[in-house]
Amino acid sequence: MYYVEISGLSKRYGTTTVFEDIQLGLKKGEFVTLLGPSGCGKSTLLRCLAGLTEADQGQIRVDGQDITHLAPQKRGIGMVFQHYALFPNMTVAENIAFGLKMLKCPAEEMARRVAEVIRQVELSNKEHHYPHELSGGQRQRVALARALVVEPRILLLDEPLSALDARIRRSLREEIRDIQSRLGLTTVFVTHDQEEALTLSDRIFVMNQGRIVQEGSAETIYTQPATEFVARFMGSYNLLAPTEAKQLLGLDLKGHLAIRPESIQLSEPGRSYPAHFAPVAAIIRQHQLLGNIIRYHVEAQGTTLLIDHLNRSADDLLPTGTQIAVLIDRQQMREVH
Amino acid sequence: MRADRYHHLVVTLLILLLALPIVATLLYSLTQRWEASILPEGFTLAWYWQLWQDARFLTAFGHSLLVCVGTLLLSTVIIIPAAFVVFYRFPWLDRWMNIIILLPFAMPPVVASVGLLQVFAGGPLPLVGTPWILVGCYFTIALPFMYRALANSLLALNVRDLMDAAYLLGASTPRAFLSVILPNLRKGLMASLFLSFSFLLGEFVFANLLVGSRYETLQVYLYNMHNASGHFTSAVVMSYFLFTLVLTWFATRLGRQD
Ligand SMILES: Nc1ncnc2c1ncn2[C@@H]1O[C@H](COP(=O)(O)OP(=O)(O)OP(=O)(O)O)[C@@H](O)[C@H]1O
Ligand SMILES: [Mg+2]
Repeated sequence: MYYVEISGLSKRYGTTTVFEDIQLGLKKGEFVTLLGPSGCGKSTLLRCLAGLTEADQGQIRVDGQDITHLAPQKRGIGMVFQHYALFPNMTVAENIAFGLKMLKCPAEEMARRVAEVIRQVELSNKEHHYPHELSGGQRQRVALARALVVEPRILLLDEPLSALDARIRRSLREEIRDIQSRLGLTTVFVTHDQEEALTLSDRIFVMNQGRIVQEGSAETIYTQPATEFVARFMGSYNLLAPTEAKQLLGLDLKGHLAIRPESIQLSEPGRSYPAHFAPVAAIIRQHQLLGNIIRYHVEAQGTTLLIDHLNRSADDLLPTGTQIAVLIDRQQMREVH
Repeated sequence: MRADRYHHLVVTLLILLLALPIVATLLYSLTQRWEASILPEGFTLAWYWQLWQDARFLTAFGHSLLVCVGTLLLSTVIIIPAAFVVFYRFPWLDRWMNIIILLPFAMPPVVASVGLLQVFAGGPLPLVGTPWILVGCYFTIALPFMYRALANSLLALNVRDLMDAAYLLGASTPRAFLSVILPNLRKGLMASLFLSFSFLLGEFVFANLLVGSRYETLQVYLYNMHNASGHFTSAVVMSYFLFTLVLTWFATRLGRQD
């Protein structure tokens, strides 16, 4: 029995279908990510859950209660928006207190709760600043505090980090995860960034063109992509067409063969190897330094493969043009459709 | 450096040229005679004294204020909700609004007056000769100023997200509008109100053709006084000018504050 249960949810605008027959279940206290490319319907799904957009069909239940047609004010759902949506005419403290004011919370309790949540998001001494006086990261903390202070049943975050620069993004996402697990808050996080999804989530729902194409833990999604789309979307998978797979590995496949770059090893021609590896002769064409990883682009019988190699020392670097044997782990290959 | 000086010279000359009639009017209104001599003679505040004690002038001034303030109240009450609805619910309507608000300007006031006189002279709504018809006309004049100013403020606001955020925090639509949208429109609204006000205070054609002396406004009063002493009418013009100057100054100040 799920805490939040979405079943058969569909939404159309005119003739365009935004999403169709969405099934989705969240456990209480779980951090779930909706991951998908731009325009796949993530925001619309989130807005339906919040009650800001009316779905055409289907049902949303929270804690056994049908909330499909409940007004957003009554759902007990908090939301953080991509562009903060802070009230520009109010200070940080006033922004955060807004929800409590709507609940007619007594003044002392309000002050106490606002102060507490401000401390939680590390914004002490900014209480009396206006949103336009804050940095992007600070604004998003205010937005988070404003959503949290009313103690919602579910927290929705719609690409909350995508307007921020990389460094702030990393630190803030850890902070969000931290607060979420401390409060045990059921959370839906929307993103189109697979790295964000992988680092944060208990579970990931991958969406494409209005459908959920795969759900599972971060490990599952990353190591066992169900479809070609997921494999492509999750990063730098090597995807071999059936003809390439036949040529290189002698496999007869209907779909593409997905191989993660880090599951291929570099070896010297003629060296022995464990039985579950398939050897392929190749030549190094290029490399990229990705910090702790060196990514080689090697060519094997006209097919380019990406290989990720741990960057242990500068002496390891293989120059362009080196003839090598690549060893592909058969246990890590996946056929996808 | 020399180009710089040249630019300064041009600007200075332009300012002098523009200021000349105002300064001359000011001098004329402050003196007794300016006929045979190069410079005026006999400094006096008598014209202003006479003007500000003239019951007819004060009545006309009061009429003007009433018509303008009434118009602006009406505009505020109608245009704010309209602009809000456009930007919150039907953003595509903004394009049409931009055309609609300019329509009244496509027709010269004299031509429009002829039509209005025919429609409102008798019939079910005999408004000609009453201030109500001016309020209606002036509404169409204030509309583009106010709509555009409000539209700009709303455009900068991201109305949908703000409303949604307020909903999720428990606010009803009116409550959300009053506490998170309206306060952010104040600046744009005030600036456009002052601008419209000074514009409307100087309106003559509609006032003269549709109402005339039956509800004498400032501009019509000035026109009716054209047989009076030039010193006296100069005092009228200067009083009016100072009043609008102060208002415009206020408007630009409000517009600049952030
Ligand atoms: N109000 C609307 N009217 C018409 N079409 C809409 C409306 N809102 C969304 N859509 C369409 O629905 C589709 C999904 O939009 P949505 O905003 O949910 O995507 P998204 O996954 O959140 O994308 P992004 O990552 O860019 O935010 C898009 O094709 C969009 O054009
Ligand atoms: Mg979106």
